[in-house]
Amino acid sequence: MKRFLPFLLSIVLLAGCTPQQAATEPAQVQFFAMDTLMSIRVYNEGGEDAVQAARQEVERLDKLLSRTDADSTISALNSHAGDGTMVSLEPEVTQLLSFAKSVSELLPGDFDITIAPVMDAWGFTTEERHVPSEEALSAAMALVDSSLLTVDESASAARLERAGMEVDLGAIAKGFTAAQAEAVLRENGATSALLDLGGNVTAIGSKLDGTAWQVAVKDPQNTDEALCVLSLTDQTASTSGGYERYFEEDGVTYHHIIDPKTGYPADSGLRSVTVISSNHMLADALSTALFVAGPEEALDFWRSRDDFELVLCTDDNRVIVTEGLEAGYRPAGEDRGYTYEIARR
Amino acid sequence: MKSPAAERRRPTPWDAVVALAVIAFAVVLIVLLRPTQGSAITAVVTLDGEPVAQYRLDQVTQPETLTVDEAPYPLTISIEPGRICIDHSDCPSQDCVNTGWISRSGQQIICLPNRLVISLSGSEDEEFDAVTG
Repeated sequence: MKRFLPFLLSIVLLAGCTPQQAATEPAQVQFFAMDTLMSIRVYNEGGEDAVQAARQEVERLDKLLSRTDADSTISALNSHAGDGTMVSLEPEVTQLLSFAKSVSELLPGDFDITIAPVMDAWGFTTEERHVPSEEALSAAMALVDSSLLTVDESASAARLERAGMEVDLGAIAKGFTAAQAEAVLRENGATSALLDLGGNVTAIGSKLDGTAWQVAVKDPQNTDEALCVLSLTDQTASTSGGYERYFEEDGVTYHHIIDPKTGYPADSGLRSVTVISSNHMLADALSTALFVAGPEEALDFWRSRDDFELVLCTDDNRVIVTEGLEAGYRPAGEDRGYTYEIARR
Repeated sequence: MKSPAAERRRPTPWDAVVALAVIAFAVVLIVLLRPTQGSAITAVVTLDGEPVAQYRLDQVTQPETLTVDEAPYPLTISIEPGRICIDHSDCPSQDCVNTGWISRSGQQIICLPNRLVISLSGSEDEEFDAVTG
């Protein structure tokens, strides 16, 4: 019997090696909102309720913030443009507008939520994309000026000062929604979760084994592949690039991130910008703004602050990763000709 | 104080039984712990959340096409061994067609105007949990 004891013990111990898949299946939902595909996954036990509550929150905000929904708060603001009415808004919407204005002031000319008439001129809203005529474009550009958006936070109201002006929150709504959805998830007991709001990934907590979430950044030239993989905990990674929504006309490619200075698709030397921050709304807004700004201005801005990190993919295939990400990142596109460098303060 | 077993110099039939049992058990373990399908990859096509088709891409041998006429903007999906793409779509944006072929677990093709999604899932462990971009 002595001889068999180790053998029996080894059998018992080896039984622990069986793959356990059921334990890692998250509670999850996938749905369309804010003109994109969203998914919510909760990995800790009992995540079903949290997932459903978060989805409801996202859908509530979609109704509030959509420019194409005639009943939304934002539509009410837009429809009163130029008539002098201070439009009453939900406090959270007022805060969102104030934040958007502050980003426009931080990065003048790179970010403007009153860009909507220009987006319409290009057909990026109605989905019939085309190069606008010079007259149509200059008429639309005359309506872009977020300093003419008056926001009164104490009264929770706002006003567009010129007729025809329109606010579009496309560059910021997903980050704002991520923050709201995270709060709802946490209230409902979620401690380990992932939000994917149309490519804006918010990592909540860490994985069940305590390690950081591994989030790949898409290769802008080959969206089948990863540019690099980041380790995230309680952070959002938001990416802006010209590669997902675009069209071709007369052999020229036009993408959907419009430079508020020119009215044309931004051409700043970047293929994509990924912003990583624990401030979800900041990550979303900055990814658009810094894509317009270009690599030098983006890095200068990064050096002036300490609340976000960057992955920049340049037109000449350099991937610039800021030093705060260095420990947890790994490059994945060397065989496709990318070179990687760490930016330091 | 030596044990009786240590004093014996020649293996007994019992030793052979133990050795054989260990070998047999090892073989059983190899079979049990082997991944069910090394590269199983499944494509699921959903229209506004409802599944409309499913393919085991690793088992596709002949190229085939699927036409989704019930979509708001009808589209054609091409399925080939190990990969899938939207070949043609009547949608105005064409972002789905521009996505091209996908072949790896975790990848998606999204047609927003149609609210159509093609998602790939597989038995192989993914190297990451989510994708930004």
